[in-house]
Amino acid sequence: MSDVDRSIAEAPLPTAGTLRRRKGLFYQATRFVAFNFRMMKMVTRAHH
Amino acid sequence: MARVVILGAGISGHTAARHLQRHLKKGAEIIVVSPNSNWNWIPSNIWVGVGKMTKDQVTFPLAPIYKRKHIGFRQAKAVAIHPEGSPDNPQGFVDIDYTDPTRSGQEEQLTYDYLIVATGPKLNFAATPGLGPDGNSWSVCTAGHAEQSAAALETIIEALKAGERKTLVIGVGHGTCTCEGAAFEYTFNVEHELRERGVRELADVVYLSNEYDLGDLGVGGMTFAQNGFETSSKMWTESLFRERGVRAILRAHVEKVDPGVIHYEELDGSKHTLDFDFAMLLPPFRGVDMKAYANNGDDITDDLFAPNGFLRVDADYAAKPFEEWTPEDWPKTYQCPRYANVFGVGIAFAPPHAISEPRKSPNGTIISPAPPRTGMPSGVMGRTVALSIAERIRHGDQAPLRTASMAAMGAACIASAGTGLRKGSAAAITMYPIIPDRKRFPGSGRDLTQTSGEIGLSGHWTKLLLHYLFIYKAKARFGWFMIPE
Repeated sequence: MSDVDRSIAEAPLPTAGTLRRRKGLFYQATRFVAFNFRMMKMVTRAHH
Repeated sequence: MARVVILGAGISGHTAARHLQRHLKKGAEIIVVSPNSNWNWIPSNIWVGVGKMTKDQVTFPLAPIYKRKHIGFRQAKAVAIHPEGSPDNPQGFVDIDYTDPTRSGQEEQLTYDYLIVATGPKLNFAATPGLGPDGNSWSVCTAGHAEQSAAALETIIEALKAGERKTLVIGVGHGTCTCEGAAFEYTFNVEHELRERGVRELADVVYLSNEYDLGDLGVGGMTFAQNGFETSSKMWTESLFRERGVRAILRAHVEKVDPGVIHYEELDGSKHTLDFDFAMLLPPFRGVDMKAYANNGDDITDDLFAPNGFLRVDADYAAKPFEEWTPEDWPKTYQCPRYANVFGVGIAFAPPHAISEPRKSPNGTIISPAPPRTGMPSGVMGRTVALSIAERIRHGDQAPLRTASMAAMGAACIASAGTGLRKGSAAAITMYPIIPDRKRFPGSGRDLTQTSGEIGLSGHWTKLLLHYLFIYKAKARFGWFMIPE
């Protein structure tokens, strides 16, 4: 097994709760707003 | 009336053209030169590559937009720049050869007062024997290539459905490639598609890259503050690979692609082969084939362009070891140091060096990513240079230039990991600054409050939203300029 394979094999796996949150509509809607707000702050800062 | 010539109509060049027209209106003549008749929203080529979008959904013809906006358009490729003009006329000009089928074989000289070089990359498939759609592997770099990849992928899926086992290899086809993010995206979109089609168990999906660690993405990796810890993008990315059962071969330089076999060298100098049934390997980039001449006819190509063919701008190109790289090495105004009315933006400007640590095998093979110039910074550069030129046209040659250094700019990248309004996902990443600055941000080199990564359905929604927003913007529809780059 290569170092890369070993490192991947030992990487953390998402819990069942994390997997649910990744697909949960209400939670993902809040993440959509949060990410786009963060992105807008970043892009407007870049415009000078 | 001043004339601005823009070479290239990609994200950077087309952005520059629209902003120039908006600010100068009829106060200047703007001419765009592009060998392609269509504009392509390249980030969505990934979805064309898995058959979820068509070529028509990610491209549109440029000519009607430019006609509506009173921007001149030449469907042609630039072959030479004469920044000092000719012995009879000191005004700079560009030699162009028409690619418009109705003007095939015709040439023209376009004089300019300002020139923006936004020619993007030459897809250098020739750097690796057998690489590319004309060889033995596929590509998603253009919408046309992506359609071919989707057709080939469908053939593989049919074979999988018939019970055959298949190996799919996705990644980069040379040790100096960039765009590892696109390779990552295509890997996980293919993996998602295989699962959706019920054939994942029979497929071995392998990611092949020149990155030293997963999560490098050509930016030297990132650090995210998550759940009370500073988490490396290496571990974050490895987690996704483990979750989805994707293998990874890293620190690799592809030497040759034979039918069904990839030959590669690893960073320790060892040589290997990898059998495949489907391979999508991105090519390395270099600058487009363009020469430059002084007014006495002397070839000054090597003065204007770096050895990789990209235009030198206001960067620090002095050779220095990795430990001495600083954010100040990176350009701010994108102005050509020798000719003040020439600018280079997007992928067309020559970076001072990479972002990721450079590495070579004992055989002397360079195996480390070239720096990415992704959509957001490219758009910002195009806009910034357009505004600089507009100011100089309005107020004279000494008007200050605007700046947009990648060392003072953040970026948001959304790497799709599968489509579907309910089943899709993406890795949504922000980083600030793009170029790590370990003086301002000791340790990771980036601001942990503005550097983040998360995986989820909302990332897919964002990428889809950006697809529609940026095509709307690129078509210069009502209010387009309110959508930031």
